[in-house]
Amino acid sequence: MGTLSEILKEQWQWRKQILSLGLFDLKKTSAGAVLGPLWFFAKPAVYILVFWFALEVGLRSADQTGSDVPYILWLMGGLIPWFYIQEILGTGINVFKRYSYLVTKIKFPLAGIPTIFSISTFVVQLGLVVALLVVYFLCGLPLDLYLLQLPVALVLMFVFFNMFSLVTSLLSAISKDFMNLMKTLSTPLFWLSGIIFNVFNLGIPVIELILMLNPITFIVTMYRCAVYDKMWIWDKPEAIIGFVVVFVVTLLVTLVIYRRTHEEVADVL
Amino acid sequence: MSSSAEAPVAIKFDHVTKTYKLYENDRQRFFSIFSSRDKRKLITKVNASNDLSFEIKKGEAVAFLGHNGAGKSTALKMITGVTFPTKGEVIVNGTVSALLELTAGFDMALTGRENIHLRGHAMGLDADEIAALEPKVVEFADLGVYIDQPVRTYSSGMKSRLGFAFAVSSDPEILVVDEALSVGDKQFQQKCFARVREIMEDENVTVLFVTHSSSAAQEFCTRGIVLDKGTKKFDGSIQDAIAFYESHE
Repeated sequence: MGTLSEILKEQWQWRKQILSLGLFDLKKTSAGAVLGPLWFFAKPAVYILVFWFALEVGLRSADQTGSDVPYILWLMGGLIPWFYIQEILGTGINVFKRYSYLVTKIKFPLAGIPTIFSISTFVVQLGLVVALLVVYFLCGLPLDLYLLQLPVALVLMFVFFNMFSLVTSLLSAISKDFMNLMKTLSTPLFWLSGIIFNVFNLGIPVIELILMLNPITFIVTMYRCAVYDKMWIWDKPEAIIGFVVVFVVTLLVTLVIYRRTHEEVADVL
Repeated sequence: MSSSAEAPVAIKFDHVTKTYKLYENDRQRFFSIFSSRDKRKLITKVNASNDLSFEIKKGEAVAFLGHNGAGKSTALKMITGVTFPTKGEVIVNGTVSALLELTAGFDMALTGRENIHLRGHAMGLDADEIAALEPKVVEFADLGVYIDQPVRTYSSGMKSRLGFAFAVSSDPEILVVDEALSVGDKQFQQKCFARVREIMEDENVTVLFVTHSSSAAQEFCTRGIVLDKGTKKFDGSIQDAIAFYESHE
């Protein structure tokens, strides 16, 4: 408990630095390219178009859910949160290396460092969600209450994956094995998390149940509830239960690992 | 530069021990996450600081003397707050600006000017403060057109100049200088000396100077602390400290 309040207190006390470093990180990433910030959106746009072409035109697997809403919204609802998660699974699992000067050269709270990267990635995500909404309204869909699930999903995604980034980065700093494990799992997670197939339509209850314990599936489901399925997330209680269980377990593991390792990270980096 | 007895304490070390755990290999480090600490056999422990106690008052200029591996840098790292004591307590009152390894800690992809902003943000300065700081740093570093070029194109001397310029321009309350004055050409060195002297004239600034060259220490400091293998061997006036240090070489 003490560890949790210590982490939260540090985040709050250093919020100014964390926010400006997060925004600075974005500036840094887009520096050196003439088109700059446009590249944040070019890759997702190409991905979405390619998957749309492959799945709807090529494989003709579009009509999985039997809904009248355009398939592109279903696809974007899955891929857009994935772009955020992918960044966390790539760079976010080893952020102390990216910001090593904050660990070893400047006094800076260790737990605040993942938040810097989360914020910079989150800004891009907000841009993508705006793009999603533009497509949504272009398809002629209504402004309704279901859309309120989007901001909730964004917050949950930010909090959960920020915590995830902290624990994996601590472990990666101590041992390279964790980093390699996460790198190995990144692509499989894309194919197993229901980003490009419907997890509620598999017909194999055991597998559906296991997938509910995957937080990526939960976030994707929530995006889709808002823009495609037009239902509330609590109509799928198994998804909420699964997410809560994983969230609590991850929180506890993070606190234990943080308490054990955080004073050591500066010495091993 | 004088220090009266009633001046407030800037830095206090209270029986500080810093133990580095050296694992035999990466596997041992990996398993140390899961097993309870200190119980594993394959760890070698090195005390970089060993039961170190001293007190430095505000406005003092203190030299840390000692050979390589005497624990000088470890003590400084604990003062700057980037590493933590294993036992004991370190109390620091005031903002610390450190000249630890000047060439490190820059983002190579960013320009010199952007790095000034980056460090400013990391230290929690707001936009106005950074705007006020930037011209001072740029002027002191005197890098010409290179200030707007990526740091990866800098020579090591140029990087040190930028690092030094930032550290001395940000009006610190505690200035930590780690062998840093040996950077750049003669002209720049003189500029650095002049600037450090200027900072030290301010009664409120505490200066810690780490070196194994006694002449540089004598130039700046009034008090000397000699360290050896993490323990304090001598603490007194700078002349006595240098005499002690040189007689035990």
